Order: sequence, then structure tokens, then C-alpha cells
Amino acid sequence: MHLKYESYVREALVDGKKDYHQVTEDICAPIENKPTKLWRLGFLISLSLLGFGVFSIAWEVWLGTGVWNLNRTIGWGWDITNFVWWVGIGHAGTLISAILLLFRQGWRTGVNRAAEAMTIFAVMCAGQFPIWHMGRVWDAFFVLPYGNSRGPLWPNFVSPLLWDVFAISTYFTVSLLFWYAGLIPDFATIRDRAKTKFRKNAYGIASFGWAGSAKHWQRHEYLSLVLAGLSTPLVLSVHTIVSFDFATSVIPGWHTTIFPPYFVAGAVFSGFAMVQTLLIITRKVLNLQDYITIGHLEAMNKVILVTGSIVGVAYITELFIAYYSGVLWEQEAFRLRVMGPYWWAYWAMMTCNVVSPQLFWFKTLRRNIWFTFFMSIIVNIGMWFERFVIIMSLHRDYLPSSWSYYTPSWPEIGFYLGSFGLFFTCYFLFAKYFPVIAIAEIKFILKTSGDKYKEEMTPIDEQSEESFIEEQAHHH
Amino acid sequence: MAIKKFATATYSDEAVLFDAVKKTRGEGYKIHDVYTPFAIHGLDEALGYKVSDLHVAGFIYGLTGTCTALGFMGAIFTTWWPQNFGGKPHFPLPAFIPITFELTVLFAAVGMVLTFCYLCQIMPGVKKHIFNPRQTDDKFVMAIEVNDSNAGAVEGFMKTTGAEHTDVQVAEADWWYGLWSNKEDYEESNNTQTQEVI
Amino acid sequence: MTNQNFNIPAKAKTVSLVLMVIGALAIIAGGITMLGSDHTATRFWASLLQNSVFFLLICVASLFILSATSLAQAAWIVAFRRIPEAIGSIVWILGVIVFAILLILILTDNTHIYPWLEEGHIPHNGRNGLKHFFLSRGFFLFWSAFTVAAWGWLGHKISDISLKMGKDKEGSVKLFWKNFNYSAAFLFVFAITLASTIPWLWLMSIDAHWFSTMFSWYTFASSFVSGMSMIMLWMLYTKRHGNLELVTDEHVHDVGKFMFAFTIFWTYLWFSQFMLIWYANIPEETVYFKIRMHGPYSFFFWINLVLNFVTPLLILMSAPAKRNYFVVSVVAIIILFGHWIDFYQIVMPGTVGADWHLSWYEIGVVCGFVGLVIFLVSNKLSKLPQIPENHPYLKETVIHVS
Repeated sequence: MHLKYESYVREALVDGKKDYHQVTEDICAPIENKPTKLWRLGFLISLSLLGFGVFSIAWEVWLGTGVWNLNRTIGWGWDITNFVWWVGIGHAGTLISAILLLFRQGWRTGVNRAAEAMTIFAVMCAGQFPIWHMGRVWDAFFVLPYGNSRGPLWPNFVSPLLWDVFAISTYFTVSLLFWYAGLIPDFATIRDRAKTKFRKNAYGIASFGWAGSAKHWQRHEYLSLVLAGLSTPLVLSVHTIVSFDFATSVIPGWHTTIFPPYFVAGAVFSGFAMVQTLLIITRKVLNLQDYITIGHLEAMNKVILVTGSIVGVAYITELFIAYYSGVLWEQEAFRLRVMGPYWWAYWAMMTCNVVSPQLFWFKTLRRNIWFTFFMSIIVNIGMWFERFVIIMSLHRDYLPSSWSYYTPSWPEIGFYLGSFGLFFTCYFLFAKYFPVIAIAEIKFILKTSGDKYKEEMTPIDEQSEESFIEEQAHHH
Repeated sequence: MAIKKFATATYSDEAVLFDAVKKTRGEGYKIHDVYTPFAIHGLDEALGYKVSDLHVAGFIYGLTGTCTALGFMGAIFTTWWPQNFGGKPHFPLPAFIPITFELTVLFAAVGMVLTFCYLCQIMPGVKKHIFNPRQTDDKFVMAIEVNDSNAGAVEGFMKTTGAEHTDVQVAEADWWYGLWSNKEDYEESNNTQTQEVI
Repeated sequence: MTNQNFNIPAKAKTVSLVLMVIGALAIIAGGITMLGSDHTATRFWASLLQNSVFFLLICVASLFILSATSLAQAAWIVAFRRIPEAIGSIVWILGVIVFAILLILILTDNTHIYPWLEEGHIPHNGRNGLKHFFLSRGFFLFWSAFTVAAWGWLGHKISDISLKMGKDKEGSVKLFWKNFNYSAAFLFVFAITLASTIPWLWLMSIDAHWFSTMFSWYTFASSFVSGMSMIMLWMLYTKRHGNLELVTDEHVHDVGKFMFAFTIFWTYLWFSQFMLIWYANIPEETVYFKIRMHGPYSFFFWINLVLNFVTPLLILMSAPAKRNYFVVSVVAIIILFGHWIDFYQIVMPGTVGADWHLSWYEIGVVCGFVGLVIFLVSNKLSKLPQIPENHPYLKETVIHVS
């Protein structure tokens, strides 16, 4: 067995005097208790938002996409903005689970479960937009490539929009599998504690009959590792392919080679912001402050700072290269972004995404919960505007007679609100019935990073480096 | 389906479990299984388990996905439905890369998860004997298959390995379908022999 | 624990001196035979530019990984962090060489390397104001000087803090956080230089009419994966000669993971840039790939992908391969060579055009730079204690499991 030790400069990841059993108790408590009034109220609000969304979509399906304010030049409006926005948000979960695993960030264990859940729900929301944008949604299955009765008719595999179909559905499936693979042992924990018959059966089925055999754990570790390895390029590919929707075109402001990595950075940026928003509330409501500590929030704020700066470099690169290129149309597209009719969107984007995250250089602000919460909302507004700015590049084309200005109609707004309804309905159900924190993973790091056990490490810290190295060399 | 008799030992700390596993294997006992609430690095080595080949399976599934994607798209665009899309060639490899990549990952991931479930024999509705309900919480359980003659001796040995609790249980060694709210419903008559565990 | 300075075999010094002599001879012979005509002089300078920039950037990669891991609070690198520190602390020397070459190119108005030096090459019209400022002698030299100075200074500083930490047990935690701040400072400098402006100035402006927003990130990915490979080679070489007792298979595995991951990352950026230009098919952009893919450079175009993507991907995919010292060394050499080729195909088409050479002169210059890097790094290492004593993560890195 390996020595459980962590440097004294590291902050504890699990506060309070927790042992293994206490971890189980704390994380299972919200599941085993009756839902609170606050939960019921929130759930009801989410459901009504969802209802309004369903109504807005029904209206659109019944009357056709004409009820949206799309026009001759702006064939994509709020719909595609919201699609890209939600997909972007759906990137943090896999990033936390997969890429942070590669960078050995211990703090991911506290937040990965909720972040992955959020990923899945966000991707579900995102998927709605292209589907309902089809208008004749009953023909949506035409995007699938199968031997069909429509003559020798196949989807166009060269179209980035079709790549999206594959990318989003693969991403959704793999994220779901990854998430569920992690949930199986935790469901087994809840099952074995269950007092009611219903709970015992429900979690019994959900746990797939997991018993915690050492051989199974070994395979589980391998599975998680390989899924993490697969998810790392996958998460990059998804937003890359979304960026291809724009960048493969020859529209000024859209056709730029930096789009793929910059979209990914932006996606991670907004994803982490959404994780912050949700977890700051969740940790308070479910009383999980010991597991999602200020240290966790600070680490995520650092990621927000880094990705915000990457996005900032990309914005300025785009702007600079447009002027460096000497191409009139590129320059005009960017001039219009900065000071055209949609100048307010561009400056909202710049302020929210590039300028304001720089405040996270200050440690006190990074560790301030209220400020973090505020910033997480700001970042998500900024990232919404980023997509809006890109898409609104369409408001001027080569033909001045078709120049226009776009504002959404009520079914478009209703659809967007409805996606919030769907997202939060799912999240509320998750927070009530699923372990919000990965129980087994917290136990795995508990004796290395738990507050209680860190005290026991003082002798190791005080040991001279020489004797420590010798002792360890002896062990191997 | 095989109903067997097991001596079990429950430990409350993984360090104790490690020593116990070492000692038990040193004494020549064959460990049926060890149950832990979370993954413990090095336990598979201590138990003498071989490295899992799951990732090799994943590689093969991934390769299948790659070939499927390229094969189908190639066949459709060159033979079944050759079209001119934006002046691109009939086999526009760069444009096929995204879908090829996605299918590679999809096949690898789905294939591996199914293989994992098959190897571990887990599925919705599957039930297995839980030696100690806290083995998914904070206890570490080691089980050794015994018969009527050596049950006492094995349990006695287990007491010397630092176990917090030991007992002998009669249980299904395999899995069966059933509801978790029921008692061990694989064979009602056996329930009487199953001792109450902590 | 015997924390001696690195013990570099005398052979390394001999080899590096021989290589440097070969390089010097090649440059002298090249100078005599080539500088006579414009045509051959371009070959002379293009190779120097390519090599000096390539070796500078792969050394800067060491600073990047040090800064990134410091900010990410990673312990695994501490076991061998003296290696990237040594590489990072010689950045200023390579930087001065690059700057000297650039200075000569600019002062002699070498329009074959940088066509924008020619008056009127970039038309004077309302659309090119910013470009004229950016690609002006003054800004070019000023920004290059700033960059080299900033990298060199931070490289020295990061190594210096680490060395101080070894001598000051009480102040080690304070120095640890100080290093944290310098790492953040490096990443800021990195963002405004290597991640944006510098590759545009030094490399992209060779093809003065072509532009790609991805270019700088692509250059970074190329140099970073090479930089990690170079760290790997130094780590294994010094370990083989009885140094770095703390480095185990686990650490080698981790560096191998980085080589693998960033091979994929480089390919990702390569593909994104290539595919978008191929797909949109705009003549102003495709011209860049036309000469490389279908023209006289098609061999380099494809070998670039074979060496930098297919080979490392297939070999490093399995975990045992990443722990096998021989395998990772071979792959590291392949990656370094592959990305040297990558830089070759960045620089050459726009300078020497169809008339490319890979002959005594080019090989001589590479030998010279390889020799120089070996000489400087081994010289620096022999002055550094192997173990970063008093580092707060030292004990963690000892028990590190990949």
C-alpha cells in the first residue's frame, strides 16, 4: 500500500473530522431525507418554465419557424446562439473528469459528479435547438444515415452540420456512460443503506448489482481511465466541430482558423462558470460545504481566469488578424462588431469575458463566495454574447438592400426559457435522488487530503528529506 | 448457481486489510474475494490479480469504429451516392475525419462499458450476496470459501488477522435476478442458514 | 541522500564540442560559399533562422511546463525539475542568437527572408495601416528584443528561486509562493509573445501576404511537444549516468503522457488549420498549402504527419511503452526530428522556394545548434544540485504514482 501523504502547503479537500462512514452519511443525507420546501419551490418553478418552453415550441411547430424573427440575412438567431451556449456549458464536466485527471488535480473529486450531471443536462438542452429549428421536426430522422426508402438518398457527410449530429450524440452517450459508470458504486452504497422497500429496489436496479469486489474495482479503474482518455479528445472535438459550423464557411468573421481551440477554451470557461453557479447553491442547500470547499471554488476560479485569458487572446488575435489580413470584408465585419449596430453585444462580451475575469488575479476575490457567484453569472452572460456577436455578423452581407437588424420573438425567448426549465428540472431531480458528490472517490482521497488525516502527517513533514527518501527507497 | 459456505472477516481500515491479505495468502488460503467501498490502489497486486486487458478490447472496438465510419462514408460517396459537394473530391478525407473520430470514440466507449458489465456480470436487476451491508460504506470484507470441516479453523485464523468481526455465511457465490427488497430470494430455504450480519 | 551536482560524463562535453565545431565550420564554409549571391545567401540565412528559432522555442517550452505545473500545483515534476530549470536558464543565450540573426536580417534588408522589408511589398492603402506598423523594422526589433529579454530574465529567475530554496529551509514556503508569482508572470508574457505576436513576426511574416489566426498556437504546440521530448531525453540520459535517484518509472510515464497528449494536441491544431483552409478553398489561404502539399515540399508535408502524429500515437498509446526507457527515448528523438522538419517546412517554402536543400550546410547547422544546447545545458546542470531540496512537494514526488 502506498503511503498516504500530501504536502503541508496544500489545502485540505475535505474539511471537518470526517471518516469513511461520515462521508457516506453526509452525502447520502439529502437523498434519504424528505425534500425541503426550497427544493419543492425550485422544482415547481423549473417545471413551469419547462411548460412554457413546451408551449413555445408547440406554437413554433404548429405555425412553422416563421414565428421566429429570422429573416433574409439572419437565418440563425437566438436558436443557434442558445445551442452553442448550452453545448459550451456542457464542457466543464468532462473536462473536470478527464483533463484534470491528466493534470492530477485532486480537487476534481469534490465537483466532478455534479459537473458531469450538468454536462449531460446542458447537452440535452443544446440538442433541442437544432432539432426544433428543423421546422418539420417529424422528419428529423432524415439526418441519420441508414439504408432507406427515400431512394439512394444519404445525408451529406461533408456538411459540418451533420458532423454536429455525430459529435453531439457521441458526446452525450460517452458522457452518460462515464457518469453512470462512476455512479454505480455510489448507488450500491445507497442501496445497502436503504430503509424503505422502494428505495432498496430502485437503487438496487440502478446499482446493477454492484458489490464492491476487488476485481471489479480493478476493472472499474481501468474503465474510468480509458474513458477519461477517450473523453479528453472527445471534449475537444465537440466544440471544435461546433466551431466548424462557422469556420468552414467563407463568411467574413466566421472563417478563421483559430476558432476550434478558441471555442473549446470558451466552452470550458462558460462550463466552469455554470458549475460555480450551481455548486455555490448546492453546497449551501445540501450542506456540503465540507466537500466543496472554498479551495475548490478558488481552483475553479483559476481555471476561469486562465480560460478567460485564452479567450481574450483569441478575441484580440481575431481582431488583429482581420486588420493584418488586408481583406476589406474581414475588416468591415470586425468594424461592425466593434462599432456597428450590435456594438453593445461586442462590448458586453469583451467586458464580461476578458476584462472582468482578470479580477480573479486577486486571491481575496477568488475566495469570496458572493463575488464568485456574481462572476459566474457575468461570465455566462458574456459567453452568451460571444455566440450572439459571432452569429450577428450576418446582419450585414454584400447586398445592402438585405441588411437588417434582428430581435427575437416571444416563442424564441420562450424556447430559451424552456431550456432553462429542462435544465433545472433535471438538476433538481439529480440533486435530490443522486449522490451529488462521488462518494467512492472522496473516500479514495480522504486519507490523503482530508482535514482529519492531514494532522497526522506532521511527523512526515517534520522528517528530514534525507531519511524520508531513504525510507521510501527501502520500501520499493 | 452455486450455494457455498464462506468464512468472512470484516476490517475497518484498508491498511489492516492489506496486511491481512498478505498474511492470508502467505498461509496458503485461497481468497474468494475482497469487497471494498472504494478502489484501493495496489490491492489487485496484493491479491495477485493480473492486469486487466480491458483497454485492449477498447482499442479493438475503436478500430472497428474507425473502419466502419471510413468504410461506410467512402462507399456511400464513391459508389452508392456519388455527389459533388462544393467541388470536393468523392473521397474528401479531411471532411471525413470528424465523423470518423466520433465513431471511433463512440464504438470504443460503448464497447468497453458493455464488456465491463459483462466481465463483472452486472446489469439492472442483477442481485449478488452482500456479505456485510457496510462493505459499500466503510468496511472492508474478505471472504474465503470453506466447507463444514474447516469452517471453524478458517474463521479462527481470520480472527488473528486484525479483523473487527468474523463469521461464517452460506451464500450464493454467483448472481441471480431479483428485487433487492426481498431477502436472499434465490432459494428461500437457505435464508435460515444465513447468519445475521452486522 | 547525496545531493550532489549533476554528474555529466566528460563524453557529453566532447561530443557537444565536436558538434559545435562542425556547426561553426559549416557556417563559416557556408558564409564563404553562399553569401556571394542572393540566391544562396537566402539558403544560408533561412537555415540559421529556422534552427535558431526552433531551438529557442523548444527551450522556452521548459519554462512553460515549469510555470504551468507550478500554477497547477503539480508535484510529479519536482523529482526532475532541475532539468527544465537548466534548459530554461539558457534561454537568454539562444534568445541573443536569434535576436542577432534577426537584427542582421533586418539591417541588411533581407527581402528574401522577410519580403515585407521591401518598400511597397505590402501596398500602401487604407486597409494596411496596422500591418505597416506591425511589420516595421522598429516594431519588429523592439518587440523581439523585449521578448528575448523577458524570456531570458524569467528563465533565469525561475531557476534562481529554485536554487535559493535549496539553501534556505526556513524561507522555502515563501520562495515557493514567489515562484508561483513568477510563473504567473511568465504565462502572461507567454500569452502576449509566443501565444500570439512572436510567431507572426518571426515566422508567419515570411509569407507576408498569408495569414492564419491559428498560426501562433500551432507553433507553440509544435515547440512544446518537442520541448517535452527534450526534457525526457535529458532526464533519461542523466539518470543513466547515475543522477536523479528520485526519478522512477512513474515520472518517466508522466512525461511520456505529456509527449503523447501533446502529439495529439499538435495534430488537432494542424488538422484544424489545414482542414479549414482546405474546406473554404480561398486562394489567398490555400497558396500556403499548395506549395507544401502538392509542390516541391510534398515529401515534408507527409513526413511531418508520419513523424509527428502516426508514429508517436501508435507507439506511445500503450502504458508499458511510456515506461520503457528505450522506447520513449526513440520516440522523443523522432518527435524532435519531426518538429524540426515541421519548422523546416514552415520556413523554407517562403524563403528558398522550390530550391530546397537538406545537405551539408543544413546538417552542419543542426549539429551546431544541437551541440550548443548540449554544451550549455550540461554545463548548467553540472552546477546544479540534483534534488530541489526543501521544495514543499519533494516528499510527494518521491511517493508519486503515475
